Amino acid sequence: MARIIVVTSGKGGVGKTTSSAAIGLGLALKGNKVVLIDFDIGLRNLDLIMGCERRVVYDFVNVINGEATLNQALIKDKRVSSLSILPASQTRDKDALNKENVGKVLEDLGKLYDYIICDSPAGIEAGAMMALYYADEAIVTTNPEVSSVRDSDRILGMLASRSRRAELGLEPIKEHLLLTRYSPKRVEEGEMLSVEDVEDILSIPLLGVIPESQAVLKASNAGEPVILDTESDAGKAYQDVVDRLLGETVDFRFILAEKKGIFSRMFGG
Amino acid sequence: MADASIEFKGTSFTLSVLHLKTSKLADIRADLEKKVAQAPDFFYLVPIVVNIEKLECAIDYQSVITLIEEFNFTFVGFTGSVTKDQRQLIRALGFSFVNTAKANASTNTSEKSTTSEKIDVVKSEQIVTPPKSNLYTDKVHRGQIRSGQQVYAKDQNLVVIGSVSAGAEVIADGNIHVYGSLRGRAIAGAQGHHKAQIYCQKLEAELVSINGNYWLSESMEQHWGSPVYIHLTDSELTSSKLI
Repeated sequence: MARIIVVTSGKGGVGKTTSSAAIGLGLALKGNKVVLIDFDIGLRNLDLIMGCERRVVYDFVNVINGEATLNQALIKDKRVSSLSILPASQTRDKDALNKENVGKVLEDLGKLYDYIICDSPAGIEAGAMMALYYADEAIVTTNPEVSSVRDSDRILGMLASRSRRAELGLEPIKEHLLLTRYSPKRVEEGEMLSVEDVEDILSIPLLGVIPESQAVLKASNAGEPVILDTESDAGKAYQDVVDRLLGETVDFRFILAEKKGIFSRMFGG
Repeated sequence: MADASIEFKGTSFTLSVLHLKTSKLADIRADLEKKVAQAPDFFYLVPIVVNIEKLECAIDYQSVITLIEEFNFTFVGFTGSVTKDQRQLIRALGFSFVNTAKANASTNTSEKSTTSEKIDVVKSEQIVTPPKSNLYTDKVHRGQIRSGQQVYAKDQNLVVIGSVSAGAEVIADGNIHVYGSLRGRAIAGAQGHHKAQIYCQKLEAELVSINGNYWLSESMEQHWGSPVYIHLTDSELTSSKLI
């Protein structure tokens, strides 16, 4: 049975799509069959980050409406054959999705894949609720600042009350905290919430800390998920996240500021 | 072992009370006839208590009962603030006497003159009002209360085993205990209970309120981040360290 993982946050612009792409590709590189679904109907982004925007013919809404089959809409990744993308529609709005049809699509995909990664839209409206409804696990993407943490807290409340698992009284959704755009230096200077602060407020297990990195923007523009940039801190951190999702114990990196040498201290480095 | 076949329990009911203002049975009958004719179905087999405190002279109790049963009421008993002797007489005659919880001490002085209506039918009165005593039971919430969520413990204390997030709200008619950080709003004694208290392991609340008296974060500086309990002393909120 496939693991359905929603990547969500409440707040926009915190790195949901970047994380979905990196984690999805990372899981596929480890030999898993993975499908990435873009739930952000009307604001198609995932295909851009994945670098397959020119190959979109049919989309998620076409499949929901029975205008195309899953096989027609799924785009196979050129780098890893076990990874597929189900793109969002750019011309419809979020009301195009309904629970029954989404459930049917997820059920069909579950027979073909090991992991279904749902890239949620921002907000707490119908689109975001649809993305999290069928989830078994949730990766709550959070930036180390108060408004993002507050919104994540709100989404955690939704996961616990509005999901299918909550409605049926099943085992609750497994929650993971993914802290993105983390800058240890700014934490040390008191400008940013620390890992401990966020963990204390949200009290869910930490899945990973992705450092603020130039590599992320570069990767997005190139349509190459940042996990492929194995030299970058962000790429390494996403690799750790994938390993942890697969059950490995990996020490956390990039959460402490680099120690300044005596010379840079003297000269204000 | 099964329980006994019967059990006695005290419960309060709302009953209709018929206030008699005259001892003249004919007048009572005439007025009853008018009243019942307005809504015969409504009065059919309604249990009724007869209040006799406004009667100036004695009345034949049995005739009163016969009369109201003629109109298809179900007689329950007599009531009213009357002398001990009168009460004993009623009981000796084999009729029940019902005491109201609040001794109905008010004696209406402004009437008994020209009003043609001599009876007040259907003035619902709570016969027995037990004191609100549910406040010793607890509503227990396990896990964190997240931003945007609200938990209300009606007529109860609220116990939260977890933290209350900023933007969340916990309300109780009794006390509130938070075994975690209190970052949201906590409202204790919501229906008016000045002895209600709020306990938490870490005070970082947006608002705390007891019986309508409230504090915003800025008033909590003294014990910010500490384990405290908050209570009212002379209608002033006070916080004290727990440890």
